[in-house]
Order: sequence, then C-alpha cells, then structure tokens
Amino acid sequence: MGRLGRRPRGETGTGPGALPKAIAALSRALPGGPSPETFRRAKFDLPEAVAELWSLLFSLLWLIHQEDKVSPRDLPDALEGQIRFVKWVLRCHGYGRQHFYQLPEVGSHGSCELLLAFSWLLAYLSLPEQFLFLRCVHQGDGVWISSCKDLARCPVPLALGPKGRVDIRYIQWLLGKLRFHWRNLYESQQEQCTLLNKIHLYTRGCHPDQSIGHLSVPETEILRFPESSKQLLQELESENSCLEAFLEWKHMELVYWQWMDTVLDTRPGGMPNTSKQDVFLPEILQNYSPKYVTREMDRVQKNLEALRERLQEVVNQQRAAWHMKVSKCSQRLPRPPELSTAKRKEIQEAVGYELTTLDQDCGVKRHPCGLQRLVFRKAREPNNSGAQSVTKIIQLLKREEASLERTLRRLQEECQQELAILAHGLEGVIWIPPPYPRR
Amino acid sequence: MSVVTVQLGQCGNQIGYEVFDTMCRDLHNTQGFCSKRENEIYQASCKEHFFNEDKSEVPVARALLIDMEPKVISQTLLKAAHSGRWKYGQHSHFCQRQGSGNNWAYGYSVHGPKHEESIMNLIQREVEEYDSLSGFSIIMSMAGGTGSGLGAFLTQNLRDAYPNSFIMNQVIWPYGTGEVIVQNYNSVLTLSHLYRSSDALLVHENDVVHKICAKLMNIKQISFRDVNQVIAHQLGSVFQPTYSSEDSFQYRRNPLGDLMTALVPHPEFKMLGLRNIPQMPENSLAYTTFAWAGLLKHLRQMLISNAKMEEGIDWQVRPPLSGLPALEKVSPNKELRFNTSIANLLILRGKDVHSADTGGFKDPALYTSWLQPSDAFCEWRTHRAFNKYEKSAALVSNSQFLLKPLDTIVGKAWNMFASKAYVHQYTKFGIEEEDFLDSFTVLEQIVASYCNL
Repeated sequence: MGRLGRRPRGETGTGPGALPKAIAALSRALPGGPSPETFRRAKFDLPEAVAELWSLLFSLLWLIHQEDKVSPRDLPDALEGQIRFVKWVLRCHGYGRQHFYQLPEVGSHGSCELLLAFSWLLAYLSLPEQFLFLRCVHQGDGVWISSCKDLARCPVPLALGPKGRVDIRYIQWLLGKLRFHWRNLYESQQEQCTLLNKIHLYTRGCHPDQSIGHLSVPETEILRFPESSKQLLQELESENSCLEAFLEWKHMELVYWQWMDTVLDTRPGGMPNTSKQDVFLPEILQNYSPKYVTREMDRVQKNLEALRERLQEVVNQQRAAWHMKVSKCSQRLPRPPELSTAKRKEIQEAVGYELTTLDQDCGVKRHPCGLQRLVFRKAREPNNSGAQSVTKIIQLLKREEASLERTLRRLQEECQQELAILAHGLEGVIWIPPPYPRR
Repeated sequence: MSVVTVQLGQCGNQIGYEVFDTMCRDLHNTQGFCSKRENEIYQASCKEHFFNEDKSEVPVARALLIDMEPKVISQTLLKAAHSGRWKYGQHSHFCQRQGSGNNWAYGYSVHGPKHEESIMNLIQREVEEYDSLSGFSIIMSMAGGTGSGLGAFLTQNLRDAYPNSFIMNQVIWPYGTGEVIVQNYNSVLTLSHLYRSSDALLVHENDVVHKICAKLMNIKQISFRDVNQVIAHQLGSVFQPTYSSEDSFQYRRNPLGDLMTALVPHPEFKMLGLRNIPQMPENSLAYTTFAWAGLLKHLRQMLISNAKMEEGIDWQVRPPLSGLPALEKVSPNKELRFNTSIANLLILRGKDVHSADTGGFKDPALYTSWLQPSDAFCEWRTHRAFNKYEKSAALVSNSQFLLKPLDTIVGKAWNMFASKAYVHQYTKFGIEEEDFLDSFTVLEQIVASYCNL
C-alpha cells in the first residue's frame, strides 16, 4: 500500500497524549480542522461525527478545486450538494472504496468511512502541503508558464435547439468570442509586461538581494502605501503559524498512521477495494459536473464492465486464431537469413536518429510549469544557476505552438476533404472551401 | 487601454475632430451630476483611452490625420489647437498634394502602395508610445476616393501588422442622392474590402443624421458641421467611460474590445448601427425631464421597428410570437417590418441609472433563434451624465437595420456595372472586372446572411 510508503521514519512522541496532539497540529495546519474528539468518535463509527467530517471534506476539497474549475456562484450550500461534490472529487482522484460511495446523501451515518476517506486524501493529495502552497505570501513578480497541454480540456455546454441540434452559427459565434477574449488577454499581458519593465528599470539597485537587483510590484506597493505592510505582516504571521503547525504534524505523523491502522482493523470486511475497475480516469471525470457524474456513474460502470468482458472474449478468440496462423506459417517458411553487421548498424543508426528527434520533440515539454518568479536582467548579465531565461522558454513554447499549428492544419485539411466529399453528394451545390481563419 | 483613431480623408478628419472635441467638452462639463472625485476618475479613464499627457498639460489626442490634400488637415490641426482644451500631436499627420478624385481605385491602388511605408511607420511610432494598445478606430467615408480607397488599403495593412488588435471602421454612408456619380461603386468596393479585414463596421448614415438635425435638433440650414456633431455625440455616448460591472464603480478598461466581444464575434455579421435617445437642441434641455422607463420604451420600439430616431416610430410593429417563424423575417425582398437583432449593447448614462429596467431588451423574440438573450444582450451603465443630458441612452445594434440601404446600393451599382458604365476608370488603376464581381458576391452573401436570421 502506498500509504505505508509515505510514513516518515524517525523519532516520534508516543506518549498517552500524543495522538490528540498530532490531530490538533493537523487541525491547525488545515483550514477548519476538526477536534481530536471527532476523530475518536469516527473511529467507533458514531453518527455524531458525520456532519462535521462531511463539512471538513467539503471545505478542504472546495478550497483546492475552486481556483480554476468551479465558479463561486456554483457553491452548493445544502448538505446533499456538498456530499455529492465530495464524492465526485474523490472519484476523480480515483478513490476506490465502494462503501464510501454508498453512504447516504442525507449524512446520517458512516463517520468511520469518512475518516478513512479523509486519511486517504491526506496521504494521496498531501493536503497540508497543498494548503501551505495556497497560503504562501508571494513577494516577487510571478509569471505563469503553461501550455495548452497543461490546460484542462473543458467541454462547452451548448444550448441545444428544439430538435437537439446546435446551430453552426452559434458555434461560430462562440469561436469568435473565444478569439476576441484571446486578443484581450494578449493585450493585457503585453501591457503588464511593459509596466513591469518600467518598474524593474526604475527600481534597479534598490533590492537588498544583489541577485535580484530590483523591486517587485508588491514591494513597490508597500513603499507607496506603507499602511498595507500591516496586512502583509498579518499574512506572514498566519503563514508562519501554519508552517509551525505543519512541522509539528510532520513530527508526530507516525502516531496518527499507527492509530489509523487500528481504525482499519476495526472495520470488518472493509479492506480497500483494489480491483482495477473501480479506478476512473480523473481527466475524463473532471470535465463533468458532479450532478451528472453521480447520476450517470452506475450506468457507465455497468456498461464498462459489460464492454470489458466482451473485449476480453474477443481478445482471447483473436489470440487463439493468431497462434494457429503463426504456427502454420512458421512451419511453412524457411528460417530468415541472419542480418549482416552493416545492415544491423544501419538499422541501429536509423533508430538512434529517430530517438534523438523524438527526444528533441519531448524536450519541448521540459520547460518549467506553473507560477515562476520573474526577475529582470539586462542582456549579458551573469545568470545564477537554476534560473531559466524567459527567451529560452518562449522559444520552447513557440516550437510547441508550431507543432500544434501543424496538427491543426492537418485536421482542418482532413475536415475540408471530408466536407468536399459530402458536398459532392448534394446536387446543385457549389463547394467553395472556406479560407483558413485568422487568429 | 489605448485606442488609436485614424482620421482618413476630408470626411474622416472633420468627424474625428468633432469626436475629440465632444469628448473634451464633456470632460469639462460641470453638469455631470456626480461628485468632483468621481468626475476626476471619469476624466482619467477617458484620457487613458483616447489622450496622451503632454508637458503642457493639454491632452493630446491619440489620433493620426491622413489625407491626400493638405487643406482639411491644416484646418483641423488649427481648430484643435485653438480650442485650448486639447490638441493633436505635433507629428501625427500625413498629407500629400494631390487627392484621389473620388476614385476608389486611385486611393486603393495608387496612393495606398505609394505611401504605405510612411503611413505604417507613422502609426508604429504612435503605437510605440503607449503602454497598451486595444485597437484602432478608423473614421472614413464609404463613397469617396481617399477615405474609402486608401482606408480599405490601410485597414488591410493594419490587420496584417497588428493581428491581435481590434479594428473598428466608422463608415460614413453617403446620401442616397449623393453628388458623386460613382458613389455606389466606391461603396461596394469599400464594404467588401473592409468586411475581409475589419472586425466591425459602425455605420453612420448621412440621410439619417441629416433628418435628426432637421427634426430633432431644429436646425434650419444644415451644414456638414451639424451632421458631424451629431455623429460625434453618438460616438461619445458609446465610448466615454462606463462602469465595468453593475455593482462596481470601476470604469471598464477596454471599451473597444468589450464592445466587439459583445456584438461582433461572428465573422459573417459585422454591421453595427447606432441609435440615441434623447436628442434635442441644447437650449431645450433645461426645460425637459426624462424618465428611464419612457426612454427605454422608445428606444426598444426604435430598435424593433427599425426607426433611426425618436420621431415617426411605427408603434404597430411587435416582435413575432416565439415559436412561430415570422413571415417578415424570411423574405429578403419584402418590406422588412420587424427588425431582428443578432446582438445589442445598451449604454445608459445619467441620474438614477441603476433603477433603469432593461428587461424589454432581454426578450428572446427580439433576437435570432440561434442566440439567447444572455449571449446577445449586454448593457453598460454609469451615473455620470453625458454632454449635458441628465439621462441618455445609446444602443449599438448588430441587426437587420442596414439590409434595405445595402440592397439599394448593391442594386444601383449592379445596374451600372451591367452596362459597364465608368468601369474603365477603375480598370485603369488595376481594379479589374473580376474584383467588382468578387465584391458583389461578398455583399450578396452579407445580405443573404442577414436576411436568414
């Protein structure tokens, strides 16, 4: 089990009061953490702890997921909606205990299952670390580096017409809107770059850290509005106390996991379900709304199972047929001649070449992703190790863009050919292929 | 974010001047019905979009003046400098000695390529001075030579040089009984070329504005200046600052981009029209009061009955019952009665603006079947009054309103083209018959697209 592998080894306090202390530290490291008493109740599956644990799970997962996936107005306020959301997110992450998903949506019982789910999240998602990152106070100028491949592919909910069809003009409208939003984004990024550059040039030599050399926007803000430093101080203090709690938790984590082992022991027949069909592909599920998922899940699961069985059957049949064919052929054929050394070398070279080009293509992926600190440097100024030049990253991203554009062209050509074939079938229709759209 | 105004030809330069002057007069207007502090933020937001700061503290318009004759440009520069409120940049104009003689082909094929480099350099120098660029607003006539021919050429060049900027063309539609014999040819060529490279064509019909001057503004001897001032007022009421959202008091940063995103995302539908309410002589303003409900009721009826001004609205026109296809909607040749919209943007300014109920514009029956009002309708508000009107509303609409004038122009041009009249004047400068045919095809397609909403 992966969980065991995550246990930190080393000295831990194992006195009688160690467990409540560990849980208290964890509570402080997480927003809205529950009391040790709730955990104790949950171990014995008492219904009193249910509501608190559901709301704990909900608030944690909501905080992690609200950033980019759900808009705030979708916030479910009823307990039922919250429970559905928690189940959905856990499914997305591949949590496999059937007992958990069978818990009633009125929140009447199942505190022990909830405790198990919470602990699984703790280990699997590294919850305390995630919240440390979320609360981190940034003082530098950040730049997000990401490429299309990192973006979640979100389906656009299309309003269907009366016959269940979408008017193509509506899709063109949405595409146009996207294009305009993209322009807006581009222009505001350009503006931000210009303004950052102005600040960086103006504050050159003001930063105490020689390797940075200029002030960032938040630092400049503090200089302009000294009263805002109070708020910064508060934020830093809160981050600090979080860090302390986190350290304490890390120190005592083992006690918690040992206790969790005893919780697992008290669950008869509650061994985690490890068979493969329970694990769903998170990237597929994240694109759907929780409502949809819980409603459709059972049906999809049944379909999948039936499909899998049929597939297995077909595979077995095919395999047997192939074996027959191959054995017949090998009896008939003479042994293939040995490859000459020259030929082998040639093949090896070709493979080597293919591998290097493949490597280069993969190299595109190797740029850093996520939030990075942006520091301004004049050309030819020495660069300390570890820092990446933005120009280089832009080059990589441009290559990626070019490859995506090639794919797009190819797909467009394919579509055009397909459309042309379809149009040939219509009498009296002249087919004028559309020009490639500008960005 | 900055908007660069490009004033082209006689018409573009004269209207451009009036637009900046109207904006500046509005900024200095003390009857804004808002606090001093609020007024300052309003001024700052307007200046951020349309003016540069200068050492002399007189705002400098973010505009470029381009004409092939020097006369109008020097007049315009002088008038702005004399106003004392604002001025043009010192090096922001380009002119030559010889005009285009109302020949579109001359502007497009001779003046365009010849001066391409100088004009594009001028624009680039201007743009480089800004921290940000939202896009271009190009003011030009549709039927002349320089504004229309060179304008079409320049728009194409701007599109290539600034693929991520918005381009809006303010197109002045000629009088139906215009004095230029080839105005329909010029119009067909201008519209078809702009449709390929511009993002939106905001159309100002001379006939309509003339009627507004006569009927609403009570002007007896209507001059070009009067017409231009009405257009400037209409443009100002759209592009002066508005709040970015209903519950915020922050002004929107990118009015041009927001307008485009709301109205013209579909590349087949780029024709925009503009209606205003109320409009009246300045000296009557003091004796009139307005209620939002009345203003919006009129404006809505103006929209659906395709009336261009308050007076003479046909109150019989009603939206078609939802679910039933409106007969008026499908037939291109029949007199259009109900004006179907693709998208509308309503801009409200003035006292008690937050109490104005815009529900009448959110009726799905007003819009084409493939868009919901939530996609198709947008509203901007600010309680800072505009240009001495205590309350005022402007409606920018992407709708069927231009079908008839467009059809007329295409029809007249086609009749001339069929008898090959004056075509040699165009082929002489490289605009072949095939180019004409292409242009007719483009416009027929636009008419068909708007008919089948």
